[in-house]
Amino acid sequence: MTDLTLVRKSLLARLPSTVVTVLTVGVAVALLLLLLSMREAGRQSFQRGTGDMHILVSADASPLASVLNSVFYAAAPARALRMDIYEKIAEDPRLEYAIPVQQGDNFRGFPTMATVPAFFEKFRPEAGANGRGFRLRAGAFMKDTFDVVLGAGVAEATGAKVGDKLVITHGAGRGTPKVEGMSPEEADMHVHDEFPYVIAGILEPTGSAHDRAVFISLDSTWIIHADERRHADARAAGRPAESVPEPTKENLRPEEKLITGVYIRVKTREGSEGSPAIGAVFDQLRRDVRLTVARPSREIDRLLEIIGNIDRILIAIAAVVLVSSAISIALALYNSMEQRRRQIAVLRVLGASKRRVFGLVMTESAILGLLGAGVGAAAAALGTGVVVAELQRRTGLVVDPTLEVRAFVAVAMGAVVLACLAGVLPAVMAYRTTVQRGLRAVG
Amino acid sequence: MSATDQTDTGGAALRIEGLKFRHAGGGPGWLIDVASLRLGAGEQMLLTAPSGAGKSTLLQLIAGLMDPQEGTVEVAGQEVHALRGAARDAFRGRRIGMIFQTFQLLNGFTALENVELAMMLGGIGAGERRGRAAELLRQLGIERPEAEPERLSVGQQQRVAVARALACGPKLVLADEPTASLDPETAAGAMDVIQESCRAAGAALLCVSHDPAMGARFARRERLGGGVRAAAGV
Repeated sequence: MTDLTLVRKSLLARLPSTVVTVLTVGVAVALLLLLLSMREAGRQSFQRGTGDMHILVSADASPLASVLNSVFYAAAPARALRMDIYEKIAEDPRLEYAIPVQQGDNFRGFPTMATVPAFFEKFRPEAGANGRGFRLRAGAFMKDTFDVVLGAGVAEATGAKVGDKLVITHGAGRGTPKVEGMSPEEADMHVHDEFPYVIAGILEPTGSAHDRAVFISLDSTWIIHADERRHADARAAGRPAESVPEPTKENLRPEEKLITGVYIRVKTREGSEGSPAIGAVFDQLRRDVRLTVARPSREIDRLLEIIGNIDRILIAIAAVVLVSSAISIALALYNSMEQRRRQIAVLRVLGASKRRVFGLVMTESAILGLLGAGVGAAAAALGTGVVVAELQRRTGLVVDPTLEVRAFVAVAMGAVVLACLAGVLPAVMAYRTTVQRGLRAVG
Repeated sequence: MSATDQTDTGGAALRIEGLKFRHAGGGPGWLIDVASLRLGAGEQMLLTAPSGAGKSTLLQLIAGLMDPQEGTVEVAGQEVHALRGAARDAFRGRRIGMIFQTFQLLNGFTALENVELAMMLGGIGAGERRGRAAELLRQLGIERPEAEPERLSVGQQQRVAVARALACGPKLVLADEPTASLDPETAAGAMDVIQESCRAAGAALLCVSHDPAMGARFARRERLGGGVRAAAGV
């Protein structure tokens, strides 16, 4: 038997109160750890995720929505642009690249990104001039019209392999654009099974939202949607389906060649990210009222500013929860003191000093804090997994949460120190307990 | 040898001189006023007094749980109140055993653990505690040392309390109304155990009680009178 045995028995004697107190501390610690680990990871993920583009052009409602939709696959872009707009943009000699993209369909819930080979050749999904480009884990990039390349996350989640066939479904599951001649329900349910794709390649993970994208060619998506639209038009006009000309790359009409965004990078000096031309191109593009023009890095900074304010509030709330959990420790110990006066008096009679009794209560309090920190760390580890998966599912944001050992130790120590502070008052009560009062039978 | 280890092995287990005590704000008179009292090693004495006369207070003064306004208390040659803080508590743990009317055994601890706890606080090494506690309980006829006291009969609980009081080999055992909550038959049995155990352990026994029937058990009897003054002879 040791003093720790006494503490353990005391905690077990009030098991429900002990469990509730530990859980209260655990929730606060978990919340703090979760927020701290996710904050930096989220920030890095957002900043990394825009890749090396300087400007994003779309027809979305706002620049921020445009970045979230076209880069992070938050939802299908609401409006489309005609290809001739892109062609005009791409003529600008100041641009290093201008890559057209179109989103709106999905494969088993994973959004499609219809684009051109330049997307893989020129666009780098990692931010910065030295960011890595796309690399293949298996297979090859798209060569044929109905070739498909899977992001690493898609391949992992679906188990799809190079050479497998797949069909895409209309709509991204959220904010599906309208399809003429179809009800929204029909559009959402519509599987393009008449146009199967073949998996040509699987990408290595990039740590960006593109890991959960399914890359197809612009031509293929135009053909699929042109076929749909032509049949819908024929139905509306009462013409037989056989009269509808099968769409090919060659016979696509300009209104059938729609895109939802353009990724743009302005030419810069080698190794440099900045160039005065970026601002000039940006300003010039903004003059066209049909376009929503965003500088992704700025939009992400704005977003992080908003998130930063929110996470400061959340961290403050978590800190308040931690303090209130310390108060609950104080209350639990305080309430137990009345029942424990007899035990304390007996310990004193048996030779325990007042200081030892004080120490026992303080140890009990510290152990509650320590157990809470342990429970909190475990809950944070589980919670982080859930949040990461949910964040990826909902926003496409690939977050790799890491918590510095220092931060973890600081939070755990904070919980223990607060618990100790909470134990001071009950410990002083124990210290002051007189044997006469404790042993009422002693008259 | 530290001050707390000094013992008068050949002399008195308890020596009280001019002990006076009153509670703060408790009126002009003394609650405890013992001119002189000596209890030899291994001696057993009954101290009787009516309720409220300060019997328990006297025991707590002797145990060093309270400080008197005047006088001295020596246990096994050590002036108790000359010791301060933890030193006095440690001395109490080693040299003084206490038995209470309601036993005051700790819930949540087995009979064995109750005795081990006293040994731990009395400074007995961890290695020998369990064996000594088990042997002590066996000698006192505890059949289920791993049971919690509340699962034992009243008589067995009393024996565990006695074992706890004797756990550290005390020179003096203070028994505070040890049979007040027992029926006469159980009380007689309990007193037999207390007196025989103290005798066997060589510990002096000071038993306070207001029960006149206890008188016949003790060769030496004193009366603490009226709550104002008591003068127990040497």
